[in-house]
Amino acid sequence: MAAKDRYQNRIELLQGTLDMLILKTLQWGPQHGYAVIHAIRAGSSDVLQVETGSLYPALHRLERQGWLASEWKQTESNQRAKFYRLTPAGRKQLVSETARWTQLSGAIASIMNPETSS
Amino acid sequence: MTRRQRNRELHEEVEAHLHMAIQDRIDRGQSREDATFGALSEFGNRDLVKEVTRDMWGWGALERLWQDVRYGARMLRKNPGFTVVVVLTLALGIGANTAIYSVIQAVLSPIAIPQPDRVVMVWTENAKRNWRQFPSSVPDYQDWKASGVFSALGAVSDNGFNLRLGDRTDRINGLSVTPDFFAALAVPPHLGRLFEAEDGQPGHNQVAVLTDALWRSRFGASPSVIGSSIVLDGVPRTVVGVLPKSFPQIGQEEIYAPFIFDPATAANRGARYFQVVGRLRPGLAFVAAQQRMAQLEQRLSRQFTEDAGNSVAIQSVASAWVEDAQGLLVVLFGAVGFVLLIACANIANLLLARGTSRQREMALRVALGAGRWRLCRQLLTESVLLALLGGIVAVAPSLAAIRFITSFQLDFPNADAISLNSGVLVFNLILALATGLLFGLAPAWQAWKTNVNDAMKEASRSSTGASHHRLRGLFVVSEVALTLVLLVGAGLMLRSFAQVRYSSPGFDPRNVLTVRVALSDKQYATPQKQVAFFERVVREAQALPGVVGASAVDDLPASDNLHGTGIFPTDRPAPRPEEVKVVLRDSVMPGYFQAMRIPLLRGRYLDQTDSATSSKVAVIDEFTAHANWPGQDAVGKSFRPGRTQPPVQIVGVVGNVDQGILVKLLKGQVGQIYLPAAQMPAPAMAVILRAAGDPDGLAPAVRTLVRAVDIDQPVFDVRTLEAMREKSQAPQRLATSLLGSFALVAMLLAAIGIYGVIAYSVGQRTREFGIRISLGERPLGVLRLVVRQGLVLATAGILVGLAGAFAITRLLTKLLFGVKPTDPLTFVGVTALFAAVAVLASVLPALRATRVDPVIALRCE
Repeated sequence: MAAKDRYQNRIELLQGTLDMLILKTLQWGPQHGYAVIHAIRAGSSDVLQVETGSLYPALHRLERQGWLASEWKQTESNQRAKFYRLTPAGRKQLVSETARWTQLSGAIASIMNPETSS
Repeated sequence: MTRRQRNRELHEEVEAHLHMAIQDRIDRGQSREDATFGALSEFGNRDLVKEVTRDMWGWGALERLWQDVRYGARMLRKNPGFTVVVVLTLALGIGANTAIYSVIQAVLSPIAIPQPDRVVMVWTENAKRNWRQFPSSVPDYQDWKASGVFSALGAVSDNGFNLRLGDRTDRINGLSVTPDFFAALAVPPHLGRLFEAEDGQPGHNQVAVLTDALWRSRFGASPSVIGSSIVLDGVPRTVVGVLPKSFPQIGQEEIYAPFIFDPATAANRGARYFQVVGRLRPGLAFVAAQQRMAQLEQRLSRQFTEDAGNSVAIQSVASAWVEDAQGLLVVLFGAVGFVLLIACANIANLLLARGTSRQREMALRVALGAGRWRLCRQLLTESVLLALLGGIVAVAPSLAAIRFITSFQLDFPNADAISLNSGVLVFNLILALATGLLFGLAPAWQAWKTNVNDAMKEASRSSTGASHHRLRGLFVVSEVALTLVLLVGAGLMLRSFAQVRYSSPGFDPRNVLTVRVALSDKQYATPQKQVAFFERVVREAQALPGVVGASAVDDLPASDNLHGTGIFPTDRPAPRPEEVKVVLRDSVMPGYFQAMRIPLLRGRYLDQTDSATSSKVAVIDEFTAHANWPGQDAVGKSFRPGRTQPPVQIVGVVGNVDQGILVKLLKGQVGQIYLPAAQMPAPAMAVILRAAGDPDGLAPAVRTLVRAVDIDQPVFDVRTLEAMREKSQAPQRLATSLLGSFALVAMLLAAIGIYGVIAYSVGQRTREFGIRISLGERPLGVLRLVVRQGLVLATAGILVGLAGAFAITRLLTKLLFGVKPTDPLTFVGVTALFAAVAVLASVLPALRATRVDPVIALRCE
């Protein structure tokens, strides 16, 4: 069953990883929460399912930390929604998170597949 | 952005999300119904999402506190009986503390003079002659003044004046002060000037300084009073200044006049009759000043026989100011502190008992993920909430207590400033918070230790239950101990007070009115004139309707001005100065003993035949007779009332009279001699009138009578002997009634504590009792079992309390008369009383234990 497979393939996101994904998603322009979930799901080929109970606290936390700013705007389909965008501090944070992630995933990859990396 | 706005925005954000999700599904071809259902289930629990999101807003702490408070308030509302009992208990405890604190705050507020630590009282002392804080003589004062220790050294003597304004003359209290007195205190006048050096010169002293109170009451607070003329003791004086309201009040003085030393005593080192106040020279440390004065006094005591054995004591006015009140206040503050501690222990006990029944609730909350810290905080919030309620309600009893205390009109410094002010309210609030934390600690600790598994199991008699029980036992033991200390203190005060109040005063104080008249020494310069005045007043008073006896005396028994003198029997060599026996000396008009109903033991009373020209005679009291002529008949013996006085012959011995608590506390029992006023005239006397009925009704007649004799001589201190005795006993009465009621409240609380623990334990052991009874145990056996448990607690508490009381009652020494702080009767009596109360408190629940029905007890498990 496809639905069930998809469910089993979901990966519990590491603490902090969701923050990074949100920042990355917003790199291309302001988005509302619903769009962020969609973007992450589409970008990961349906593997990463972000729960609303994780997304909204994360958005509000990032906003409080000053990495995101928000404003109410109309969507293309004329729906009023709260749009989040990166602040300069958020952009800086994204750069450092990306660097850290690259380093971490490279290290993990070299342990998991020693023959390909050496 | 307000919290409400943020909440609305969060709601909109979530709704927008759902709206878009539904629209997407409709766009993909789902029906509206399916789309809505799908979107909702995909989204999850909306309220939960909102709540976890809200947690990110960062005001979680405040939010949680508010939640705790609301939850706590709900719990308190659900148990109204419990809440009311606790709040009332606390209100009493906190209210008593707040009231006593308000008194202390007023009394201990600093004396309003610049650099008060540099201003000192200088006292003459003599260990051998038992002089403590004794007045000083002119030559001593002048030597001290020349020592260079003080930048200013003033002499003060209290004095009454007859103030005449228009056609009205009043007796007012005043102080005679040398100009240096004001220089030492260094408080600037409110208006005009204070005394300058010239005002202290004979012939230039016709000036006066008014206190703020007199200026307002008699001069309408008019600034034009400066330079105006008033008549004091028949002599015109110019008002030169008015003191500020904050100027420290030593007694009841309303006016200040320059102090001119009497030339007759100016060279006499033995004539000690005034107090000395000085300001230390700048740069001279207090200890250094003490040393230099000690050296100086040592030299003087070697040089002059009158000063033999004398030393000098320097006391800062700040401590002199509060000295009298301090002893009483420390005791009262300690007592109310104890009451509050006992109340806290009791409430902690109640909370623990309730905590046991709430254990399941707590365990459930832990199981559902509440942190232990969160639970503790919840319980502490409840405790503090209770305490704050108590603190608010406490305002009523503390107001009542303040009114009660001020109704005693004690001679405390700043007595009129005693009130429920903001400082006191802040104290009240802090006290309530601290109390809540204090009694909340035990239940919070209990919650901290909550063991989910044990608590969720049906068996409630787990190990935690036993440890709570031990803790509650500990509370009861400390309560009992504190209560016992209070009871012993109250018992001692009560015994002491009974001694003072119900011991016979040696005269009959009922139905006697006294009025004082102080003759101005200008108008009545000679003793003959003074005697003639009082003879006429007494003669006319005797003729008043309703008067069965009248006379006059210079110092009423137990009044606050008494005169002492040395006694020198003529049948032996004169004793050395430090061995002279001091007695109180009264000048009396004929008929004094009859009017006062002082019994004659031997010889005769003084009467009309003892005139200025007849041979000099005296009547002495039994104590003096026994002290000087033990085993002999004193009648017929002679003595000199003062080393250089002519001898007088004893014609009678009368019973001892009560000299008032002040004399007794300072000197113990002192002898009393009576001299005929005709032979030893006094310019100021108290006229006494024994009435057939109500003595107060005589007051107007006496006033009219004295006015008719001389309009310039006002009567003052019009009061009954009973009222006077009452007033002199006021501090003891206040301490006894307060301490007594505190002790009663404490005993009640402790009894409730014992009852609570025993009743709880009986409830816990119902099954055990059922088994015992079914096995044939008699009710008496069960009763004994339970009561013994109560007695063990009480005995432990009593033992600790006795040790504490033994150590602490020494603080009471200053307030006790006629009983030792370790009075065995009080200790034994209080212990017995309390043991009885403890038995009673355990018997009630024990009776319930004997009525356990074994069948029901065994089935209910």
